[in-house]
Amino acid sequence: MNSKYEVLIIGGGVVGCAIARELSKYSVKAALIEKEADVSMGASCRNSGVCHAGFKYAPGSMRAFVAVKGNAMMDDLCRDLKVKLKRIGKLTVALDREDEPTLHKMKENGDANGVPGVRVIYQDEMRKIQPGVEGVAALHSPTSAIVSPYNLTIGLAENALANGVNFHLGQEVTAIEHQADGDWLVRAASGDTFSAKVIINAAGLFAAEVCKMAGINEYRIYPCRGEYYILDKRLDGTLKCLIYPAPKKHAAGWGTHLTPTVDGNILIGPTAEYLDDPEDFACTAEIMAQLRREGQMLLPAMRGTDFIRNFAGSRAKQTPPEVGGNADFVIEDRKDHKGFINLVGIESPGLTSAPAIADMVSGMVKNHITLTPDPAFNPVRPGMVDFFEELSPEEKADLIAQDPNYGEIICRCEKITKREVLDAIQNPLGARTLVSIKYRGRASMGRCQGGFCIPRIVRLMRDEFGWKPEDFLKRGKTSPMFVGNMRPKGGAA
Amino acid sequence: MSDKKTIPTIQRDVVVIGGGPAGLAAAIAVKEAGCDDVLLVERDRVLGGILNQCIHDGFGLHIFKEALSGPEYAARYIKQFREKNIDVMENAIVLSLTKDRVVEVSTRGKLQYIQAKAVILAMGCRERTRGAISIPGHRPSGVFTAGAAQCLMNLENIMVGKSVCVLGSGDIGLIMARRMTLEGAKVQAVFELLPYSSGLPRNIQQCLNDYDIPLFLSTTVTDIAGRSGRLEGVKVAQVDENRAPIASTERFVPCDTLLLSVGLIPENELTRQAGADMDPITGGAIVDDTFMTSVPGIFSCGNVLHVHDLVDWVSVESEQAGKFAAAYAKEGYKAAANRIQVKPGDGIRYTLPQSVSGEDDFILSMRVTEPGRNRRVVVKNGDKIIRKKEVRLHPAEMIRIKVGKDVASGGNAMEVSVE
Amino acid sequence: MSVKKELTCVRCPNGCTITVELDENGKILVDAEGKLAIGKEVACKMGDEWAKQEIENPMRTIASSIPVENGDSLMVSVRTDRPIPLAKIFAVMDEIRKKTLKAPIVINDVIIANPAGCDTDIIATRDVAKAG
Repeated sequence: MNSKYEVLIIGGGVVGCAIARELSKYSVKAALIEKEADVSMGASCRNSGVCHAGFKYAPGSMRAFVAVKGNAMMDDLCRDLKVKLKRIGKLTVALDREDEPTLHKMKENGDANGVPGVRVIYQDEMRKIQPGVEGVAALHSPTSAIVSPYNLTIGLAENALANGVNFHLGQEVTAIEHQADGDWLVRAASGDTFSAKVIINAAGLFAAEVCKMAGINEYRIYPCRGEYYILDKRLDGTLKCLIYPAPKKHAAGWGTHLTPTVDGNILIGPTAEYLDDPEDFACTAEIMAQLRREGQMLLPAMRGTDFIRNFAGSRAKQTPPEVGGNADFVIEDRKDHKGFINLVGIESPGLTSAPAIADMVSGMVKNHITLTPDPAFNPVRPGMVDFFEELSPEEKADLIAQDPNYGEIICRCEKITKREVLDAIQNPLGARTLVSIKYRGRASMGRCQGGFCIPRIVRLMRDEFGWKPEDFLKRGKTSPMFVGNMRPKGGAA
Repeated sequence: MSDKKTIPTIQRDVVVIGGGPAGLAAAIAVKEAGCDDVLLVERDRVLGGILNQCIHDGFGLHIFKEALSGPEYAARYIKQFREKNIDVMENAIVLSLTKDRVVEVSTRGKLQYIQAKAVILAMGCRERTRGAISIPGHRPSGVFTAGAAQCLMNLENIMVGKSVCVLGSGDIGLIMARRMTLEGAKVQAVFELLPYSSGLPRNIQQCLNDYDIPLFLSTTVTDIAGRSGRLEGVKVAQVDENRAPIASTERFVPCDTLLLSVGLIPENELTRQAGADMDPITGGAIVDDTFMTSVPGIFSCGNVLHVHDLVDWVSVESEQAGKFAAAYAKEGYKAAANRIQVKPGDGIRYTLPQSVSGEDDFILSMRVTEPGRNRRVVVKNGDKIIRKKEVRLHPAEMIRIKVGKDVASGGNAMEVSVE
Repeated sequence: MSVKKELTCVRCPNGCTITVELDENGKILVDAEGKLAIGKEVACKMGDEWAKQEIENPMRTIASSIPVENGDSLMVSVRTDRPIPLAKIFAVMDEIRKKTLKAPIVINDVIIANPAGCDTDIIATRDVAKAG
């Protein structure tokens, strides 16, 4: 089947979804295609969830521009999309005098980039922000924030969908052709085709491959894996702000650090390791041991029983390991390939920059088609910012009285209610994997990792939606949860 | 939100949190002690807790002198519970507990506070997960805790896999190795990190040996393969005396399912919230010989207090907790004149209760650190040996020793050790 | 030549180790009073009897679940009410596997009498009421 659009976005990460949402403000026939069964399945669900202030990037660089601008856009965006954003600020710490000049350099950068309120502070003031913090000095950046990266991506996608952008999930691009009529033709592994006047490459780790399909050969992505530990909410409140070590030259990332999440967990990581496989998200024994060791030093209150889970993600780097560091983002409207808008190497701070990148890209789309503002555009996504568990007892009582499904807990560790699980299952994008439910409703994200709630979710899906054991997928078609019914005759709804 | 609902508060003498074997026995004992105003709060639709999914037999040999299955064992207590007309809230979850014993309970349609004179914690335990033991590798589907797989199979009619490895030789893992074999799966092997099994010897015999399922001791899973989505196999390796994998022994075992039976963790989030002092070894609250925690009026029993080997002992312990909680609700707090600390000595991992008054006979429950035959457990009060018991030592088995008040009183420190 | 053999008793959770002595024909050696010739770790009287049985024809119990139509639970748990020969377990499982039941079911109901010709019944170990 062929679907014809004016604009087609390739890639359902935070950048692609931000572009979709930006385009949904206009009367334009647009769609997004994504190879996975849901949006936010690549780097967008595998990162620290930090909205960076933008002081680290070279003045005049694309990264500096989109990060600072994106950071400033985040409050309104998260409010409208019902996504949690916490402006907790960051201390970038010089552990010794040797690192202190780095702070002043970053402060100068920050000022040049227009980052608000960046200051070098010393021990007394540092410890007022974070009691007991080590180090001689720190750069304090009050606009540094934390945000749930997958909730932001999902929020952007759902709002784009509500405002008329189509989402084609589970469609992997295999070929891109320029047709005689000037439109692009995108072929998917399913056999479906998509044609559009403008295509936008937001394929993240696969951006260079998508370029090649379109005949653009100058880019290469070097995947750089980072591993993490997720810690129990027992330690919630330990970190008052983000604390990073001052960066060392040529480092691929920030170095191991602790990051509080908006939901009350703490992440240890990420590490940096160049790989050939962009989707090798395994965690490895040596690096896990290193993270445990370093985490213990950074957070002495941590105990072995605080480990909930590990995960890994890959950065879409343009710099090979022997060069290290970062290259600037490529955001270009290809003159030699008319109607091909290209985004390459959008690694950190991609999450922060996504709204600003989307703004730039819609400007580029205007080079090709007329974008008329859609008067029906509604920027607000329905729902609540907070989970039931985070509300006051009075608010909880109100909700339970309105809908008894709020009174029943499905996920005991995260105290996620039946209503919230049902909402997660019946999400507008139609993503139906257990991971989709987990990212939306937090069910199975806690300390028992689904031991309690997976059987309950299974019962719920069977009783309310008639699911069979074979219908339960973890992330997609290749990750079935179960073989089938134990006894063929039983199990019918 | 406007027009806030005021949340109703009801008063109860005793609230029992959890309707598994511990909560049932405790609630029945409260009622038998003459305290009629007892309410049990259960989060599931039905009473019985984890017993409902433990369909194998072997429960109740001490209490009923019969080998019952889990559901039958539960049914006996549920029958008594019903006959005594004890109030119960099913499908109800406790959202919070304060040190002043205010229980916040959510049910379909209603949130309410219950002010209790005494609270009995009987929430049981949860299984340790892959994340908790940091197994490297991919994160495919097909990795389950053994208890979750047991629930899915026995209650939900779901087959979780066809070719199975089991990590950990805890009893649930052994029981599930047999269960999956009986349902047509091929169980490749059970791997145990320790040099001895953590399950009961009879389960090694009747769950593994009977079906020629090999058990590899001092062996662990070092990697999980399954980049594309479903588990493809595990790498296993022998471990050295420091439990570090020996690289040269690493081998790949293809399988589509990995069951984890790597330990149970008492589920004490409410206990911590109420501010009770915790024992880092048991993972449960610190209690005295009335099973009261450091928070007056809050009692703890069953697997939320310490993980038991047999449900019979859960019931026995919980009856005691129920009896004392009922007395507390009637008479209020009576501080013991004397408080004797009980400490684990050589060869003992923990003892429970952690302190006694010496005013009553009591049972000391304990676990040893390593297996041994023909050894003696010795209880000392100060320097005086007050009790000796000859036992076979196995860390999987809980040892219970009755101590009389005649020998317990007077001292201020007891120690239990293996000789 | 006699040989010694170590058995793990499965009659109760104590799981006693019972050492028995077998003659050249694999027959268990007993003393004049019919007690085991050796084996001192048996915690109870049942040990002797069990060990003899274990050598001659090992007996086991099994449990399973059977799907229920129109019940308030999807499955009813069942078990053998007396031990069956170890060698018959899969034959008994085959009969259990063929079965589907209709609610209501009461605990102790005989679900299958003498499965695979064994001197045992498969009994329900819980109640399942009609749905609704």
